[in-house]
Amino acid sequence: MNNWLNQHIQTIKLVLGRMQNNALSTFMISLVIAVALCVPGLFYLGVDHLSKFTNHMQDETEISLFLKLDADKDAVTEIGEVLAKNDSIKNFHLVTKENAWQALKSKAEADNETDSKIADLEKNPLPDAFFIQAKSTEPETLEALKKELQSIPGVEHVLLNTDWAKRLSALLALGKKIILFVTALLAVALLVIIGNTIRMQILTQKDEVIVSKLIGATNSFIRIPFLYAGILYGLFGGLLAIIMLVLAVKVFNLSVQQLSSLYSSDFSLPLFNGQLFVGIIGFAIFIGWLGSYLAVSRSIASIKIN
Amino acid sequence: MIKFDQVTKRYPSSNEALKNASFTIEAGELVFVTGHSGAGKSTLLKLIAATEKPTSGTVLIANQNISKLKPSAIPFMRRKFGLIFQDHKLLYDRNCFENVILPLHINGITGNEAAKRVRAALDKVGLLQKEKAMPITLSGGEQQRLAIARAVVSRPSILIADEPTGNLDASYAADIMAIFHAFHQVGVTVIVATHDALGMSAVQNRVLHLNQGQLTHTQSGLDGVHHE
Repeated sequence: MNNWLNQHIQTIKLVLGRMQNNALSTFMISLVIAVALCVPGLFYLGVDHLSKFTNHMQDETEISLFLKLDADKDAVTEIGEVLAKNDSIKNFHLVTKENAWQALKSKAEADNETDSKIADLEKNPLPDAFFIQAKSTEPETLEALKKELQSIPGVEHVLLNTDWAKRLSALLALGKKIILFVTALLAVALLVIIGNTIRMQILTQKDEVIVSKLIGATNSFIRIPFLYAGILYGLFGGLLAIIMLVLAVKVFNLSVQQLSSLYSSDFSLPLFNGQLFVGIIGFAIFIGWLGSYLAVSRSIASIKIN
Repeated sequence: MIKFDQVTKRYPSSNEALKNASFTIEAGELVFVTGHSGAGKSTLLKLIAATEKPTSGTVLIANQNISKLKPSAIPFMRRKFGLIFQDHKLLYDRNCFENVILPLHINGITGNEAAKRVRAALDKVGLLQKEKAMPITLSGGEQQRLAIARAVVSRPSILIADEPTGNLDASYAADIMAIFHAFHQVGVTVIVATHDALGMSAVQNRVLHLNQGQLTHTQSGLDGVHHE
């Protein structure tokens, strides 16, 4: 076991030494891997964060129930009783037209701009409204509840405030699929590039392969350093991708924050996403290993010792 | 130990490199394979080292028929041999020590045990002081001695050398021959191919002489006793 470990450490040292000797080409291949992984990584980061954001929005599902303008106090109480009997409603509260009117006026006073226009209004244009928290967050259930509420006499309009979040999350699901597809395409390209690099290395190390075969090395022994080279390319590429990703997010956030402050939101992309980073490195190492594995077996077999 | 029975080797689009050769080499023998270049000496050695398979006939190494070996078993068969080539086949991207340790790594030997054995092998060929040197900085004779150190480091029971002195001047060649004799003294089977009649005159050992693929003498150098 100790021997086995020792041998692998020796091999890794040998491979690292060779990479150091060819530092530029090692950097180049790592850079190619990094760029290829950084692009989908960046999109993933954006889409993932947005979809968490919208999921959160969907959790806070609120249904707004606006009554007809001419609804009197009795009608309001009646509807309140109907709502209280409904099983799928967690809780609700009433905002009367007078309260809403007051709230609007005081907000207008704080906000000087609209002051004059609000003051110009002679009578209260607002309806009574119920704000309802449903028990379920399932879109289908909410849709059914919305229809049910719509049919209550005296109700003018029912608004499900999650509609836009639903649309966005459907869009984001599509975005995730596109990212997956792009990643798969880039992975194929990486396999080819890594495979070619390893094949070239085997050719430049042809003497070593021949000598090793002559003195009794098995094909799997000869293969090991090349597999490690692939794995190390993947590791370096993955690390480089993460560095690039963090830098890109930093630059992005400058503009994103500016944009989201215009929408009075504090939305920004997180700098650190451990799961994604581990995923990127793991994926890069796997691609490096697979690329060299596919290249190495045939190349070594094709080198004849006579 | 090594038994050839009516072995013929024919390469595609060429004459028979070896015709109907039959001989036996016992463990611990020192055997010279002689003949002009192109007489089939290299082919004979390649058949022994299982880098070629015979077109017909059987080659038995330690009672194993090399024609019937599975490809996966061949590397393990080769570990019985120490191979030395005219062109050394050293690896020029690593130093002497790292060249010699390669067979040990292949055998799964690492660490202090491996280092000890490497230094012992380098000592035997007189290169202990040069373990950190790169092979390219060594003279031709030193390179060949390094190749011998690599061949013997895993303590094979059979040493096979193809024209080991072919590129060397006489004094270096004598050095190399002396090393082979020393291994023979301690019981290693040594098989040396050479076209060098001068080097041969000094030895009193068994000779397999090849002429255009035909084995013409299989007798001992001095007393003329036929072994086959």
